[in-house]
Amino acid sequence: MKQRYGTPLGPTWFLGRAAYRRFMAREATAFAMAVFLVYLLLWLRSLGQGYTAYGQMIELAKHPISVFVHGLIFGAVLYHSATWFNLTPKIMPMYVAEEKVPDFWAAIIMGYLPCVAVTTVVLWAVLRSAG
Amino acid sequence: MTFKKSNEAFWWSLFSAGGVLSAMFLPAFVVISGYVLPNQSSADPGRAPYEHIHGIVSWWPVRVLLFGVIAFTFFHVAHRIRHVVNDLGWRHHTAPLSLVCYGGAFAGAGTAAWLLLTLPSVAQ
Amino acid sequence: MPDTTITLDVFRFQPDGGGHARRSTDGPTFKAYRVPYHEHWVVLDALNWIKDELDGTLSYRWSCRMGVCGSCGMMVNGVPKLTCAAFLKDYYPGTIRVEPLTYFAVERDLIVDMDGFLGKLKSVKPWLIRENEKPVDEGEYLQSPNELASFKQYSMCINCLLCYAACPVVGAEEDFIGPAALAIAQRYNLDSRDQGAAERADALSADEGAWGCTFVGECSEVCPKNVDPAGAIQRVKVDNVKDWYRKLLMPWGHR
Repeated sequence: MKQRYGTPLGPTWFLGRAAYRRFMAREATAFAMAVFLVYLLLWLRSLGQGYTAYGQMIELAKHPISVFVHGLIFGAVLYHSATWFNLTPKIMPMYVAEEKVPDFWAAIIMGYLPCVAVTTVVLWAVLRSAG
Repeated sequence: MTFKKSNEAFWWSLFSAGGVLSAMFLPAFVVISGYVLPNQSSADPGRAPYEHIHGIVSWWPVRVLLFGVIAFTFFHVAHRIRHVVNDLGWRHHTAPLSLVCYGGAFAGAGTAAWLLLTLPSVAQ
Repeated sequence: MPDTTITLDVFRFQPDGGGHARRSTDGPTFKAYRVPYHEHWVVLDALNWIKDELDGTLSYRWSCRMGVCGSCGMMVNGVPKLTCAAFLKDYYPGTIRVEPLTYFAVERDLIVDMDGFLGKLKSVKPWLIRENEKPVDEGEYLQSPNELASFKQYSMCINCLLCYAACPVVGAEEDFIGPAALAIAQRYNLDSRDQGAAERADALSADEGAWGCTFVGECSEVCPKNVDPAGAIQRVKVDNVKDWYRKLLMPWGHR
């Protein structure tokens, strides 16, 4: 087998080009989301255990480290959402009356707008009265 | 060229479902868990914030929704992590890698199901 | 020689010696050439000038000089480009590094071995497949403008291989069918005249097919014809998922 030029790729191959770094950042959001999922399970458990356990969980959430980690996770989640919405029209092109909707608008209609609606409803439900 | 059958379609469909659900819901969830809830109970140390959130989460449609978001997001995350590790060079003997990733997702989804099923309802 | 010049750092590799007394076991080297700088020159013009004026042993492929033939793809400062469309003025006054397309075996200097790609292309059967070919006297297979539009973008591929040189999966997995061939397969699957999707399915749904792709997306960025192979491959995945569940739910039905 002839050696191919530029191979093998080392584990840092993605550092070489901006597009590759963006790709790796996009994929790495999964790690932040994994941390959040585990946190969410712990939070759910405390909710089921009652007022005292839940209170301890919230005390934990007030810790500066938790606030900082939540900030990082929020950034990662937003990056995931944005990249996901931007790529959706490429995977499922949107057609209206057999005319292809431009990707820019398709991303807004299929991604950003529903996300804003969902966020509004969820925040409204949680902030309502108890705020 | 001969090709081997792949079951990647199945994992990818879970990955995609999780990708959509997490992209829609997680921004709100993170804001609530990282900002809204901690600040709410500091302003009002009584039981009201707990009972309010408990009331929302224990409502059955919300339990189902939360399970969907959490379970599919687990598979989304597992699939991505598997491929990131793949892309960083682990390209041979990948069975243990898949086992850890998807096994973790099954464990996470199962835990979510159990927690949401056993969550006590609000006493009327 | 005009007053202004620009330097090209050109990859050289001549396995047979090529007058350079080099052996195939020698690693590649770079040779710097100073060429006249003209605003309207492209990298290919500079290479032609080198071959005519400085070093006749320099080997590279080119033909049309207008972005149609797809022969002159090379790495220009690390990015896959058609050298007929890479203007010197975009790099001036810096040095321009010219290399063969990455992830291909090098035959000689800037010429890469395309055989692997051609085999992959053939494996997806990139031609119209009919269950029953109708006789010529029954006329053409008619197609509406919308039916044409549904695949036209993917039919613009000129097999220049820039997308392969941009794809890290191609670099990591030698057997990955790759962006262009997968996009061309999808072009035929979307063609209303074609009935061959089932025959292409084995290749497309394999790990070496669409599932090898992790959607880095750089193939679509470097494509000189806006084919968007990355988008095409994701659509292959969606079609494959539908097939997978259809088979799961209705194992008795054929595809």
